Amino acid sequence: MGGKVTRGDLIRSWILWTFFSHANYNYERLQATAFAHAMTPIIRRLYHTPEEISAALKRHLVFFNTEPNWGGVIHGAVIAMEEQRANGADIDDDAINSVKSGLMGPLAGIGDTIDQGTILPILLALGIGIAGIGTVQAGSTPDLATITGNPLGAVIFIVLAMGIFLAIGYVAYTQGYYRGRTFVTDILRSGALDRIITGASVLGNLVLGALAAQFVTVFIAYPLYVGNTHLNLQTDVVDKIFPGLLGLGLVLMTWWLLRRRISPMTLVAAYLIIALVGAIPFNGPSPNYVTDACGSSILQPYGPCAAPAAK
Amino acid sequence: MHRRFTRFLGASLILGGLLLALPLTTLAADAPQKITVSVFQAFLIAIGYYLSQGPWLFGFGFFTIYRPLAAGLIVGLILGDPAKGTLIGAAINLIYLGFISAGGSIPGDPALAGWVGTTLALSANLDYAQALAIAVPIGLLGTIIWNFRMTGDVVFLHYADRRAEEANIGEVARANWLYPQIWLFAITFIPVFLFASQGLTFVTDILTRLPTWVLNGMAIAGGVLPAIGIAMNMRFIFRGAVIPYFFLGYTLVVASNHSISIVVIGVVGLVLAYLHVYFMGNRDRGGTAAATAATQGRA
Repeated sequence: MGGKVTRGDLIRSWILWTFFSHANYNYERLQATAFAHAMTPIIRRLYHTPEEISAALKRHLVFFNTEPNWGGVIHGAVIAMEEQRANGADIDDDAINSVKSGLMGPLAGIGDTIDQGTILPILLALGIGIAGIGTVQAGSTPDLATITGNPLGAVIFIVLAMGIFLAIGYVAYTQGYYRGRTFVTDILRSGALDRIITGASVLGNLVLGALAAQFVTVFIAYPLYVGNTHLNLQTDVVDKIFPGLLGLGLVLMTWWLLRRRISPMTLVAAYLIIALVGAIPFNGPSPNYVTDACGSSILQPYGPCAAPAAK
Repeated sequence: MHRRFTRFLGASLILGGLLLALPLTTLAADAPQKITVSVFQAFLIAIGYYLSQGPWLFGFGFFTIYRPLAAGLIVGLILGDPAKGTLIGAAINLIYLGFISAGGSIPGDPALAGWVGTTLALSANLDYAQALAIAVPIGLLGTIIWNFRMTGDVVFLHYADRRAEEANIGEVARANWLYPQIWLFAITFIPVFLFASQGLTFVTDILTRLPTWVLNGMAIAGGVLPAIGIAMNMRFIFRGAVIPYFFLGYTLVVASNHSISIVVIGVVGLVLAYLHVYFMGNRDRGGTAAATAATQGRA
């Protein structure tokens, strides 16, 4: 027992984690084997008898799940603890376990908010825009036959995503080790991370709101006749109040339903059925919205259309 | 776990069946210009779908080619039209814009929708609504693959437990990085390869027979479904004192008549984030709530 973790061991451990964090993702203990796998260079360095090795492997095969890039700070801290323990410090299994299970939740929250909640949607929206799909705007149709796509949109997305997440992962992992667990817990306590998350939430909310406005589109096509005049519910009523009101309502309703523990799968199925039912023509043949004027279904896919002749 | 799996399977099959069975009675439309997909191209596409879930791209498959935008580019490269492929991938990606995976569950499989959807759209020269009509049910079917993976991997976990008992470091490592990949490869490569090499004409035939209203319905769904991804994302950050920024972002886009660029929104967001943190400091609990809201990371 004993030894010093080299920089090479640390880098090897980080590479194993960044590659294989989800290689054996499973419902029972999620990233358990991935954590143990990432610890193997450290275990090889620090422990030498079969009993010690077996105990260390089992110690790290417990339930573990976090966001892979930001969560690396946990691995760094745990490596530092294992090193101290192997060199005689009084650190028991409980201390290591409590650092892992105590930090994995908050770091998943931070990581998901920033990575999946903010960075990815921004990069995707940027790439999709460059690729050639603009906003699904009133009156416009994303016609795949006439727009020329731009592969650069996807290339920029891939390069930026790789670069950003690689940098976050590397810094988190190595800082976790060099500064140790006190650094991690101090930071959590000091409120610095609080400020980062709050800032990220501000940015994330602004971006999500913008994306909702750009890409969630619902148009009412149901024709309402007042006497002899055709009243277009979309352009004459909704758009006069607040353009995009229906989309905003839809997003807020979805958010509320998700909070009521309705599963996303159920919502996908329900919305699909609503969209199909909304497209059923109840008065004559279904129009081709790309080329024709307003039809007589309840909903319609692309922006407000010309009113049909009054009856 | 079993009940959840059965429910996923049932829902996906019903939806897939619904969409495939609907149009069989209607007459064929004129056949559009098509690209044939060779066996080798189908092989490459299936490898690509496997890589999007596998660990080999520095573990960043999930953050890159798992997304239809990037998948579309690569399918386009394989089939000889990267520009069109990227465009179709971008269109399919709209549904999964706010896609978030937390705690080991996913609301659909953007990767399968991207890889297979783009292949179909390119090979059959589909339009926007038709591309969505195929991408949405494919994405739902993808959750079956996901559940197979998450359930099957338990076997390797228990194998690792036994080898840890014997202090066999090498085998514990291989139980994480090697053996599960054989399983993942089987459940991702085989269905996509079979479909891309054998099933394209069958589905294309059905698609060209879809009545106009079904295609209109799918185009409507294309405007409605992004709400789910965005709302899932909101569960993490739409809370506390930062809620108004969501409405501000929405209003900025509406007020600019959809002409504002996402980069401008990003810059405005950074400025507001700085000001908010500077003036609110730690009195705001919104961020802390977000940090403790999720107890589990991404898939």
